[in-house]
Amino acid sequence: MDIVFRALVVYLFVLVLTRAVGRRELSTLEPFDLILLVMIGDLVQQGVTQNDFSVTGSFLAVGTIGVLTVVFSYLPWRFQVLRPVLEGVPAILMQDGDVVEKNLRRHRLTQEEIAAAARVQNIGSLSEVRWAVLETNGQISFVKKGGDS
Amino acid sequence: MADTPDFLTLTRNRDGAGRTEMPIRRTIMTLIVLFCLAGLLNTFGQRPETSKAAASAASIKLYAPTRVRGGLYYEARFTIDARQDLKKATLVLDPGWIEGLTINTVEPSPIGEASRNGKLVLELGHIPAGKTYLLFLQVQVNPTNIGHRSQDVALYDGDSFLTSISREVTVFP
Repeated sequence: MDIVFRALVVYLFVLVLTRAVGRRELSTLEPFDLILLVMIGDLVQQGVTQNDFSVTGSFLAVGTIGVLTVVFSYLPWRFQVLRPVLEGVPAILMQDGDVVEKNLRRHRLTQEEIAAAARVQNIGSLSEVRWAVLETNGQISFVKKGGDS
Repeated sequence: MADTPDFLTLTRNRDGAGRTEMPIRRTIMTLIVLFCLAGLLNTFGQRPETSKAAASAASIKLYAPTRVRGGLYYEARFTIDARQDLKKATLVLDPGWIEGLTINTVEPSPIGEASRNGKLVLELGHIPAGKTYLLFLQVQVNPTNIGHRSQDVALYDGDSFLTSISREVTVFP
């Protein structure tokens, strides 16, 4: 019983932590972020399974995580009011070539980072950007002034 | 002014984005920081503490953590200072010393073990006056053992009660 409970508690903690840390930090996967990800996975595993090396135990833990994943994707789909809480709201970072400073501050972003994200999408200058949006998955999407994204 | 992309509005996604989210995020991060600080301050163990008790014949000192977490290894050190000759020094430990804990080793091994009203009795033998007896318990906490356990320790000379330490251990998940 306790392994299911531990998996539930750890899942909820990781969910709350990832929402609190901010989506931008989680969307990047630089070498340091990758190492952190592996570290967190290892630490979480120890907390969930502890000294249980059994196949039954791993089935229970993985099964619980799987069920919770389905539940937490169903809830925002079924209840729209939960979407901002569980998934966040897309934030407009640029409008007609001008940055929305307030939203950059809120998400700890700099113009240089937006420019870097724009270059990835073959946009050389921020003046070409009509809309830049920080999506709920942490990626920055662009709509160019000409209408191309 | 340009129309916003589908499903986005200036009110919600430009002006209101993060207005309620940010205070919640900051509150959660503050709680996590406080939780980590509490960990630094030994709220969740396992820094050892010293407990003492004395009688005219002997004194006993126990150096062991009172807060531990599931799976941790720790040591309990009992120091018995004999002021008078103890013919048959005996330690009587509450069941909380065994319940949900794995005793990896007891050194030096007691010359005898028994149960007295459900308590663990460790017979240590003769301790001459003026001498010190050190007993080490190496323990691992079983992960399912969560909650509070009484870990009182009583020192006897044979059947004569000398002194005792009253303590409790808290096991965090």
